[in-house]
Amino acid sequence: MSAAIVVNGVEIELDEDGFMIDPDLWNEDAAMALAASEGILELTEDHWKVINYLRDYYKQYQIAPMVRKLCQDTGCNLKYIYELFPSGPAKGACKMAGLPKPTGCV
Amino acid sequence: MPEYKGMVQPQRATPDDMRKIHIEPVPDELKPEKAIEFLDQIRKKFRSFVMAMESCTKCGQCAENCHTYLGTRDPNNIPTNRAELIRKIYKRYFTLEGRWFGKLVGAEDISLDIIEQWYSYFYQCSQCRRCAHVCPFGIDTCEVTFIGRQLLHWLGITPKLHASVGAAMERVGNHTNLPKPGIVDTLEFMSEEIMDEFGVEVEFPVDKPDSDIMYIPSSADFLLNPYTLMGAGMYFTYIGANWTIPSTVTEAGNFGLLFDQYWTQRGNVMRLLNAAQELGIKKIVWGECGHGWRAAKMYIPSLADRPIRWPITHIHDEVADMIRKNELKLDPSKNYKPVTLHDPCNYVRACGLNDNMRVLMRASVSDFREMTPHGMDNFCCGGGSAILFDDPEMYQRRILLSKKKAEQVRATGVGKDGDGILCAPCSICKAQLYPMVEEHELGVEVKGLIDLVGKALVWK
Repeated sequence: MSAAIVVNGVEIELDEDGFMIDPDLWNEDAAMALAASEGILELTEDHWKVINYLRDYYKQYQIAPMVRKLCQDTGCNLKYIYELFPSGPAKGACKMAGLPKPTGCV
Repeated sequence: MPEYKGMVQPQRATPDDMRKIHIEPVPDELKPEKAIEFLDQIRKKFRSFVMAMESCTKCGQCAENCHTYLGTRDPNNIPTNRAELIRKIYKRYFTLEGRWFGKLVGAEDISLDIIEQWYSYFYQCSQCRRCAHVCPFGIDTCEVTFIGRQLLHWLGITPKLHASVGAAMERVGNHTNLPKPGIVDTLEFMSEEIMDEFGVEVEFPVDKPDSDIMYIPSSADFLLNPYTLMGAGMYFTYIGANWTIPSTVTEAGNFGLLFDQYWTQRGNVMRLLNAAQELGIKKIVWGECGHGWRAAKMYIPSLADRPIRWPITHIHDEVADMIRKNELKLDPSKNYKPVTLHDPCNYVRACGLNDNMRVLMRASVSDFREMTPHGMDNFCCGGGSAILFDDPEMYQRRILLSKKKAEQVRATGVGKDGDGILCAPCSICKAQLYPMVEEHELGVEVKGLIDLVGKALVWK
């Protein structure tokens, strides 16, 4: 049951789990809309730090970084990442950064 | 929502997802008829399946030995009843008494509802073989659900998780969609981490020609299990190995075993053999992955399309050998927290990897406590065969399926003070247990076994 969100008049298609189908359509407003769907009402500076780090890493490597690397490079430990993104680094933070849903044994 | 007439079901792959893995979904109206055609084909090839169809006396021995039944108390999750979902169809179409007397002898006509029931219950089975282990006839329900899942796959019904893993493997050579630059970047990060924490220089060579050892890690290690990668890297460095990780098969898993033993599983085997040949290696060493080790050790010989020139071993067996020869210096006091071992089902009930895990454990940790039961009697983590579904209903089911495991861990007392270690040397077990130890509040951290070995190494 895929869905879509409309951000600034542009329709962004989501997969069954609410991840963006086309990461290129991502923008900050889309991140805010996705955050709202996860029940996150406000994106703080630390949210953006994590989101922007994930986007930059993905742009360079077409994959999300190892969770440990994400924590080290952003200075946010895993517990804090869960506070920021209750669904966790993959299903929460990656979703808001417009990355595809991680597959495999994760 | 992934539910059908009150039955939970995992999110399924879309028709487009299925086409990516070479399956054209069968339209609903044709599914029942095709299911019988496929079942007829497959029953002629697998004696293990026919034995399961013909021999069960319903003694019930399997019921209390299945963690899925213990967790859900759903009668269809009793292994013999799970097999009955297909047995009643087998009976109706392929036995005389079933054709003549139908329902009177427990036979039933195929229908879409039955197929949907297969999808629900064959993906609640972890294929852990504990029922096979206790069955007086040796009926292996795992073989039944293997075949049930294969039929479903040919009909076009496969969980999204399994289908996307199949597609990722074919596209990039691992389950998590890691391209080579991402692999290299992560491994460089691992080298830095090892230097910071252990003060040792460790390099992770990728695609290095003429290496002696080709190490096949689980791709999940690159996202979630840093110490498993670090442990392997430190071990190979310690013994002075000429080793490499192939970027074309950076994957110890083979989901083909779990949903498509024809094309997907076989294709992955060829991919591995091609990589071995291209790199000119002498030996293949497998990383921590339960189903993948079973697929490698037990299936490669019969699936390979050419003679296999390389020994294929598991890293635990390699390390155990070195420990026995006194070639590794390990200091167990470096892992001083209480540790218990979750035996991955595929290691202990399908590959004979049991004692060697204990050789590593005893040499690497100072407070090791066995679970009850353990070894080949151990219970599954509840995620076996990659039923790691995270849609809300299925996630709830995973909590039920790990209930027995949680009881076992709790009984060891390792998490009593909140600083225990639950060693689970398999990527599926790790992925299942990371959230489950929180759900069940077990007070333990989940680690691999090679993680503990790496930490215990005493460098010259």
